[in-house]
Amino acid sequence: MLPPLYPPTGPSTGPQSRRVPPNKPAGMPLPAFQIRKPLARRANLWLTQAAFLLPLLLWCAISYLPFVWHPKVDILDPGSVDYFQKGMQVDRSEFREENAKQAAAGGHPATGTRANPVYLPAPHLVAKALFTAFRTPPLRDGEPWLHQSLGHSIRIIVLGFLLSALFGVPLGILCGTFALVSRLSEPFVDFIRYMPAPVFGALSVAILGIDDAPKVAIIFIGTFFQMVLVLANTTRSLPAALLEAAQTLGARRRQLLLNVVVPGVLPLLYRDMRILLGWAWTYLIVAELIGASSGISFFIYQQAKYRNYDNVYAAIIIIGLIGLGTDMALKGLGRLFFPWEKADT
Amino acid sequence: MGDTLALPDYRDLSPDLVKRFQAIGARETILEIEHLRKDFTGRNGDGAGMPPVLGDVSFQVKRREFICVIGASGCGKSTMLRILGGLEPRTGGEVRMNGHSVSGPGADRGMVFQEYTLFPWLTVKKNVMFGPKMAGQGKDASEAEALQWLDMVGLSERANAYPHQLSGGMKQRVAIARALANYPAILLMDEPFGALDAQTRCQMQKHLLQIWKNVDITVLFVTHDLDEAIFLADRIVVLGARPGRILEIIQVPVDRPRHQGQLLSPHFLAVKNRLEQLIHPEETPDPEEMKDLPLVRMTQVGDEAEP
Repeated sequence: MLPPLYPPTGPSTGPQSRRVPPNKPAGMPLPAFQIRKPLARRANLWLTQAAFLLPLLLWCAISYLPFVWHPKVDILDPGSVDYFQKGMQVDRSEFREENAKQAAAGGHPATGTRANPVYLPAPHLVAKALFTAFRTPPLRDGEPWLHQSLGHSIRIIVLGFLLSALFGVPLGILCGTFALVSRLSEPFVDFIRYMPAPVFGALSVAILGIDDAPKVAIIFIGTFFQMVLVLANTTRSLPAALLEAAQTLGARRRQLLLNVVVPGVLPLLYRDMRILLGWAWTYLIVAELIGASSGISFFIYQQAKYRNYDNVYAAIIIIGLIGLGTDMALKGLGRLFFPWEKADT
Repeated sequence: MGDTLALPDYRDLSPDLVKRFQAIGARETILEIEHLRKDFTGRNGDGAGMPPVLGDVSFQVKRREFICVIGASGCGKSTMLRILGGLEPRTGGEVRMNGHSVSGPGADRGMVFQEYTLFPWLTVKKNVMFGPKMAGQGKDASEAEALQWLDMVGLSERANAYPHQLSGGMKQRVAIARALANYPAILLMDEPFGALDAQTRCQMQKHLLQIWKNVDITVLFVTHDLDEAIFLADRIVVLGARPGRILEIIQVPVDRPRHQGQLLSPHFLAVKNRLEQLIHPEETPDPEEMKDLPLVRMTQVGDEAEP
């Protein structure tokens, strides 16, 4: 009888190789840290929540655990320190020195509790401010309520951004399509793009007056020039093969532009516009401080002046929520508008 | 190859095929290519002095013929197809389509490319409707047209899917339907199945032959796959490189209708043998690719993979 072709073998006694043993894949210690691999849906949800919870926890720790930071002391009883007053906030080192002096001189030591600086209110104060923000009347007559300030800001942004899109979208698409338009406009646009929009503040007030017009103009200047360049580049990213295919199907120039270039880049342009809308909020803060101050940034400055830092944070958070909300709404609408786009955009 | 098999002469045609080629020869010529030349001159003239991409290419295509163009890489076969499609200008010679000189892309020459060129924003049906709509047909007419062509390529059930929901083979079938919906006189295909896996590729070749049989269409098919060329073509135009030129035009001696079993038939192998000789002659291999690997040993004696 012939011996079996593959005799049973024990552990390999063959030549030792330097290969990694099969059960220990090299360089992959945890399933969570795999290079460029997506996570499970549940894990994604958890992480999204953690992305907000972790900073909140940090803020709570700093606010409610005195040993974490609390560099100041709120004076309860000034004792014999002549310049301390009840409710005054002083540095801890200063508080210690003064009390040491009093102890040496035999006077009453001051008492107080450790506290964070006024500019860092605790989460519950900000939360309370958030809840009451829209019901708290302004401190002085004639000053706008928070919702009025916000409404004004949103109007400026929408006007400026729409105006910018009205000219920027067609020009960007044309730049990305025709070399002539691109050569003629892009160098100049690029030149202006490097000038910070706020430098046009004084000029726009001189030209457009002190009301809303110069503010809209700043938003326009801040977004228009970026928009043209970004959209032109996006338009150029349309694969040439699609244009060639359309040509062999009989499409003429006008048809190529309207039936291939525009629908072909539309989802990408939409994504660009979402990012640019974020820029508009940045320029808003500048825009609202020129001419007659107004809107949410004016509200924030006023509240900071009155040292109502809880209101300041509340207003900042509201801006963030509006931004996040708009972006998520636009993202959802995008899925509706462009069903052929894969989910990852 | 060929050292153990006695193969027939690749020029031997069966009486049926002789009749077929005579019939084809008697048909009207739809595409004439005369002394076609293409030089590539870069922007700084850095192409000057290089041999032209296409030197002097002339041949004619008869109506409803199936022609494959084959050649080693760099022989200019894709460039030639793009010139015929009007996507690239020629630097010399003449290309006439139904007697008219070609000066740009047009709906009379449908093209199917290797990369997927379906419009991602249009459903399958609307992709096929694209040509008729560009030609000014109404929505209903072009929709009816599109559904008919989707039926032809067996994809009417996917009419409302978007291209990204289709497999590679399906995408190319839609691309073929889209090109045919314009009633082009010729279909120019640039390695359309090059990105597909072997099995799908085989299936697609069968589909294409079936479509060609049922539609009044002439096909010019560029490929670098010898089997594909022989399986599909009536005639194979073999191009050589630097400068791109015609080495030979082979009348394929394999009977129609074609089937997979013929891939190992003597006539099939005879043509393949001839194509190998033409495309990979002894002296051409790139010397860098042909060097033997250095003899570095990383296993132990007694652990041989082959004797």
